[in-house]
Amino acid sequence: MSEHAVSLRAPLITGDKSIAQVTDDVCAPMEGRPTALWWGAFIVAFAVMLLGVAAVSYQIATGIGTWGVNRTVGWAFDITNFVFWIGIGHAGTLISAILFLLRQRWRTSVNRAAEAMTIFAVICAAIFPLIHMGRPWFAYWVLPLPNTRGSLWVNFRSPLLWDVFAIGTYFTISVVFWYVGLLPDLATVRDRIKEGARRRIFAFFSLGWNGSYRTWHHYEAVYLLLAALGTALVVSVHSIVSMDFATSLVPGWHTTIFPPYFVAGAIFSGMAMVLTLMIIARKTMRLENYITIRHVEIMAKLVLTTGSIVGLAYATEFFIAAYSNNPYEQFVFINRAFGPFAWAYWIMVSCNVIAPQLFWFKRVRTNLAAVFVLSLFVNVGMWFERFVLIVTSLHRDYLPSSWADYAPTSVELATLAGSFGLFFTCFLLFCRFLPVIAISEVKAVVAHDRRTFGGGR
Amino acid sequence: MNGRIVTIVLLVGTALAGTLLATRIGAVRIPGNHQGYEPAQPIAFSHRLHAGELQVQCLYCHSGAEKSRHAGIPAAGTCMNCHRVVTTAFGAVRAEDDLAKKENRKPNLLVSTELRKLYDALAVSPAGMLPIAGREPVPIAWTKIHNVPDFVYFDHRGHVASGVTCQQCHGPVETMERVRQMETLSMGWCVNCHRQVNQIGVAGKTVYASIDCVTCHY
Amino acid sequence: MGTPAGAGDRMDPVMPKHDEKHYWKSLEERDGAIDPAALPEFLAVPSGADWRTTRRGFLVAAGFGLAGTALSSCSRAPVERAIPFLLQPEAVTPGRASFYASTCAGCSAGCGLIVKSRDGRPIKLEGNPDHPVSRGGLCAVGQASILGLYDSQRLDAPTREGRRTSWDEADRAILSSLAEIRQQRRPVRFLTSTITSPTTRATIDAFLASFADARHVTYDSLSASAVLDAHERTHGARLLPRYRFDRAEVIVGVDADFLGTWISPVEYTAGYRSGRTLGDALARMSFHAQIESRMSLTGAKADLRVVLAPAQYGLLMAHLADRVARLAGANSPFELLAAPPVAPALVDTLAERLWHAREKSLVVCGSNEVGLQVLCNAINHTLGAYGGTIDLDRPSFQQQGSDRQIEELLGDLSKGSVAALLVAGVNPVYELPGGEALAQHLKKVPLVISFSSHLDETSSLARFVCPDRHYLESWADAEPVAGALCVTQPVIGPIGGTRQLIESLAAWSGAPKPAYELLRESWMTRVYPRRLADQPFEAFWDRAVHDGFVEVAANAPAGRTFAAAAASVPAAAPAAAGTLALVLYPKVAMLDGRGALNPWLHELPDPITKTTWDNYACLSPAAASALHVAEGDIVRIEVGGGSGPSSAIELPACLQPGQHDGVVAVALGYGRMGTERFAKVGPRWLEARPTVGDDGRVGKNAAPLASLSDGALRYSGAPVRVVKTGRRRDLAVTQSHHYIAVPAHLAPAGGARRPIVQETTLPAYVKDPAAGSHGHHEAKEDLWPSDHSYPGRRWKMVIDLTACTGCSACVIACQVENNVPVVGRDEVRRHREMHWMRIDRYYADRADGGVDVIQQPMLCQHCENASCETVCPVLATVHSEEGLNQQVYNRCVGTRYCANNCPYKVRRFNWFDYPREDRLQHLVLNPDVVVRSRGVMEKCSMCVQRIQDAKVEAKRQGLPLSDGAVQTACQQSCPAKAITFGDANDPESRVARLLKDPRHFRVLEELNVKPSVGYLTLIRNRAEGEGGGATGHE
Repeated sequence: MSEHAVSLRAPLITGDKSIAQVTDDVCAPMEGRPTALWWGAFIVAFAVMLLGVAAVSYQIATGIGTWGVNRTVGWAFDITNFVFWIGIGHAGTLISAILFLLRQRWRTSVNRAAEAMTIFAVICAAIFPLIHMGRPWFAYWVLPLPNTRGSLWVNFRSPLLWDVFAIGTYFTISVVFWYVGLLPDLATVRDRIKEGARRRIFAFFSLGWNGSYRTWHHYEAVYLLLAALGTALVVSVHSIVSMDFATSLVPGWHTTIFPPYFVAGAIFSGMAMVLTLMIIARKTMRLENYITIRHVEIMAKLVLTTGSIVGLAYATEFFIAAYSNNPYEQFVFINRAFGPFAWAYWIMVSCNVIAPQLFWFKRVRTNLAAVFVLSLFVNVGMWFERFVLIVTSLHRDYLPSSWADYAPTSVELATLAGSFGLFFTCFLLFCRFLPVIAISEVKAVVAHDRRTFGGGR
Repeated sequence: MNGRIVTIVLLVGTALAGTLLATRIGAVRIPGNHQGYEPAQPIAFSHRLHAGELQVQCLYCHSGAEKSRHAGIPAAGTCMNCHRVVTTAFGAVRAEDDLAKKENRKPNLLVSTELRKLYDALAVSPAGMLPIAGREPVPIAWTKIHNVPDFVYFDHRGHVASGVTCQQCHGPVETMERVRQMETLSMGWCVNCHRQVNQIGVAGKTVYASIDCVTCHY
Repeated sequence: MGTPAGAGDRMDPVMPKHDEKHYWKSLEERDGAIDPAALPEFLAVPSGADWRTTRRGFLVAAGFGLAGTALSSCSRAPVERAIPFLLQPEAVTPGRASFYASTCAGCSAGCGLIVKSRDGRPIKLEGNPDHPVSRGGLCAVGQASILGLYDSQRLDAPTREGRRTSWDEADRAILSSLAEIRQQRRPVRFLTSTITSPTTRATIDAFLASFADARHVTYDSLSASAVLDAHERTHGARLLPRYRFDRAEVIVGVDADFLGTWISPVEYTAGYRSGRTLGDALARMSFHAQIESRMSLTGAKADLRVVLAPAQYGLLMAHLADRVARLAGANSPFELLAAPPVAPALVDTLAERLWHAREKSLVVCGSNEVGLQVLCNAINHTLGAYGGTIDLDRPSFQQQGSDRQIEELLGDLSKGSVAALLVAGVNPVYELPGGEALAQHLKKVPLVISFSSHLDETSSLARFVCPDRHYLESWADAEPVAGALCVTQPVIGPIGGTRQLIESLAAWSGAPKPAYELLRESWMTRVYPRRLADQPFEAFWDRAVHDGFVEVAANAPAGRTFAAAAASVPAAAPAAAGTLALVLYPKVAMLDGRGALNPWLHELPDPITKTTWDNYACLSPAAASALHVAEGDIVRIEVGGGSGPSSAIELPACLQPGQHDGVVAVALGYGRMGTERFAKVGPRWLEARPTVGDDGRVGKNAAPLASLSDGALRYSGAPVRVVKTGRRRDLAVTQSHHYIAVPAHLAPAGGARRPIVQETTLPAYVKDPAAGSHGHHEAKEDLWPSDHSYPGRRWKMVIDLTACTGCSACVIACQVENNVPVVGRDEVRRHREMHWMRIDRYYADRADGGVDVIQQPMLCQHCENASCETVCPVLATVHSEEGLNQQVYNRCVGTRYCANNCPYKVRRFNWFDYPREDRLQHLVLNPDVVVRSRGVMEKCSMCVQRIQDAKVEAKRQGLPLSDGAVQTACQQSCPAKAITFGDANDPESRVARLLKDPRHFRVLEELNVKPSVGYLTLIRNRAEGEGGGATGHE
């Protein structure tokens, strides 16, 4: 009987942890002084963020002209970064919502961090639609507010407006979802702290959680509902973002496969980012027992799958263009592969399609270093996917007279760097002040493992 | 016990606040809305007297309104068409004449303080209206009251031509001692009127008022 | 127009500038208008509306989340003053434009103007449709000349030895030294460019008459001297004939850029176009062959273009003369000729076509070699062109310069024999070869008086500078063509203490008079007697001032019978190995450099190279690759070299298809003193690069490379060495891909050439008027019902590509009308030019190796299913019920989504707040158009301000809006009348008729965005499949 059980499933959490140990391990980084490593990382991230802040302030004070964009290439780094970050933001909700509904128990070790990542990524993303405006101080005009202009309203036909709502909803739900998930753990932390301000803060935010049966009951119900909501959003958000392009008539943008293609790409990039962060966290915060090779391997498989879907999408785009017999469409894709921005295109292909194929080999999937490097590749590749999509489509569209090239300015580069700075600053603070792993959920898994092996002994 | 007091205080406070707000809500203004703007002018010109009592036509002074986008403010010269002879209130003149008869002397020339500013601007002496040597005429800097933003192009011509009365936008100026902005002059206000007149027409005749953006913005 | 005569001068006194400023309406102008120091920033809140001061009220509001609103409503916009006139001038209604007829002085062509004046400021120049010379068009230079009026760097007082002085003082000093010279009987020279004004000429003569040895020397820096000299030889009178392109059925141009820069482009374009009118009742299409070495605007338009080295022109024309003579049955003027530089068959066809159309054919030659011009006259004589396509009875006075005279004068100056030199309207130190030498010689001249309005290369060396007025401040006249007397009237009081040339001269001749009187007197004596209809002088004068011109009897020099002068083949200098032939040419915008102080003209893309803010060395792609030079590589051009005076300039290379491989072409008119001011042009930010070059000026002066010897100013032919320097300077080009075909290695199967422009040949068109059509995408059923019904008017535009020459007058017209900012070289280089109207110039490779050029004006197409409208999140761009695509600047938040989604890429974004480099130039802004702020999208509005004005005016007068009552700025200025605009719902309108023309097509029709702007197929007068080009073989 038990032999069967053994062969049934290897433990999710190794090291044969007791429930108390789990709590101790996860809370360890939050208690005691931050390590020098943390400080180093934090200072770097914060500095980079400040650089970004400076760049954005300068741009808002001086004009969009401080970017490399021009009359032909009206969007470049701005919207590229926007779509990139939104994409990153997908893993979290995917893991917490979809995998939760699919009863994928391995998610428990990573979902907390992934959700946090989602929120930070969406914050980074949301900045760009704002600052890419010529007059960001009028950004509130995209909201349907009552005004003195008679019936002047917003244009509900504009995909940009759909974005506003999509991102808004997605952000709200993600935050709520994340927070609800945090509740039991906040309570746990609260109870571990004897006295002082921190205790009071945690007490406030754990909303008087008492771990009674009723609390747990309500908690489970709410969590399930939110998961259901989140699931819909994972698909909807990036579909809508993709419509910014799909509904336009720019050759290379005007494609029907965008929504699924974008969603796949988003999950792809999100997973890659989770891997990157998890592997770091695992090392730096000694969570080897919770984030096991198995977790890494499963996610690697996911990356492989979604990566292949993305690859298929790339191929399909070319097929559609060729089959459409539309000279403009055809040209745009030939131009992507062999035109002035071919380098970007081939970086994209090699990072997003070719590199992940190595995950077919178990040896690679289980080799942390390899997985880490590949995940970085994917991150780079997915950024370039958006860059290629936006810039190469715009820079040579219908009238050859208006063709133009594009090169980023220092301000744009600084802004991009700054967004990463912001992201990592937030993430590091999160690691420092909140349980990186869903203690309660892990405990459930631990318990489950106990039952499977040698619980009898 | 304590709690109850707090509740009562809160309730009272809210009620008070509510009533206050209700009385004040009308005064809450969107930026750029200068309704009620009533600045003092360099010369205390009374529209009530001229347009009201004396029934001077608006277009007599603001002649631009029918041939230009700007109604315009009359040149000081235009004022002189009357004020060459009228130098102060009629009553005062009458009184002076009577007094003069009584004291059998020639009545003095009375000049009201406000009109003196006009004569000074033109650098003419009220007696005989002759230019004063060595004095430069200085134009009168009136304060603009009905002032739309620079990205709005309002054209008086069309409105006057299609029979919109001045009062419809400027209010009962002929009753105002000092002119005051009656309407909000907000875009909503313009557009609503344009919509309305397309339904009900202006002064009985059907008109067409476009609500295209380029009617005012270009 | 309809203003009483002389309204101009009555206007003068009434406007101290500060008077009307407050009527302006534009974000920019208020800054200019109000002195913030003088006014309280905020108005005290009137007690009536003062509720915020009650603390409780404030707290309540704040407590209920209204704090934001409440606070913001505390502040008031800055107080605006309205300052009326003291005495209303009857000619002026604030806010209402008045129009005055005048004459353009942008060059010596003398085109007719209608000056639009608003609140006492001229703000726009338009062509005078009734004008006998220009017939309604106005070129880019003319359009832009209004900016010179508001140039704060104009001299506003006379200077003596470079120091400001008063007129009295200057006059006293000048009179004394003149008196000295007079009694010493020493030589006086008056140096001017062509003066078409009889009054000015007479005044100068009168002034010079008082000296023993005085001469009036005239030269033109873009010299057509050889044409006049040749006619002196062949017709016994040194004059410039009037070329009647409108009468010509066959035109052969040899190196004459008559549509672009040669003598009188607007006049010639109008004539040329009327000879190429299709579709109407009279369908005429002249045949035009152009023989040239570089790609000129005219060559780009030619039906047959022969590329030939400058040295070969003579031989080709000799052969042409020979063939024509044979056809005429006369015996050839030449015994034996070397083999023609092109295929003999080609010469035969040209000769035959000319002969068949004799008396209706015309050969024009732009070369400044007398020999060539004599040949040209001989051919024209044999063809009977004189009296037909060439008018000698009413000759042109647009060019009178004599290279021989200037050469003599330079000789005298070098000898130091000249006592007084008066310089007006020219800048010899800059314009003439050997300018440095001249600068030295000028130091030897005791009295140098310049009338220049700026400190330029010459006037900075003059002892006295007596600045002349801008022509919009002046009373003057002009007789560009014998019998067409034009009047220039002032439309604004003089800005600064300048004085008109004739006034100065009158003062120095001892009879000081205002220009107005001088002019009237001279008309009384010189013009009035030549009147055609008998009428009192006052009526005659008033009519002339009102119309801007009057037709009178021509009094041209007599004796114009052809005397066969010895027509010889000009010796063609054999090109030395390793050298290229230098060709110096004027650019459409810059000409000889008279536009060099005008930012509009600098930023106007050259119609052919599409390059701004620089001159450059044009090389054919083959020549460039032979030199291993790529676009933007700086090359060194060395003249002379081994022996003789050598001079060199370094310029970035520009690859020019269709140019002769043995030629390097450089534009004149750059590197002028005073262009340093453009260092300030354009936004300043982290990575901004200066507009001016390393030497602080815009471009390099190429004049030193020209040569002035044996009575001819030579611009072309000099052998030069071109060396690559290894440095680079990216050119600021507005069009980076020049071909209508996509790059070969990226071309999808069969999709290389893009179906953007329809073109066909005349024979094909005659067979089928719809020839060349890319297959009409007749409107298919839409999935959705149409969003727009156009109950009232439906504004549409049609542009005739057959008529359009690409001269770019429309671009400047649009810029002036719509307050389009100048952004500077660096921004253009970054593809951020702001022109609403651009002209796409495409090359198309031909089977025979030549290139065709297509000029396609491109502006907002005002689509019915506009892709920009759907994507704007804030409804800042929406469709009007009259079919306009409205852009609402004040609503725009600047997402640039609309621009991305515009297939025509006609939307322009305000990347910065563009500084207008000269605050005085704010006065040229059109008060009826908003000056757009940073972060806002803008684009062609079809001059909606004009539409609205016309509509309201019609409503005011209770009249219907007639066809043609609204003219867009581009349409009005077009010398070729290529643009038609009007109400398509009115079946009688011209635009409605053109919409039915089988030639009509829309760009990218297949996208079904339904543009309101259409085009008419480009038709070339050449046999079907015929190449239409040839290249000379050395």
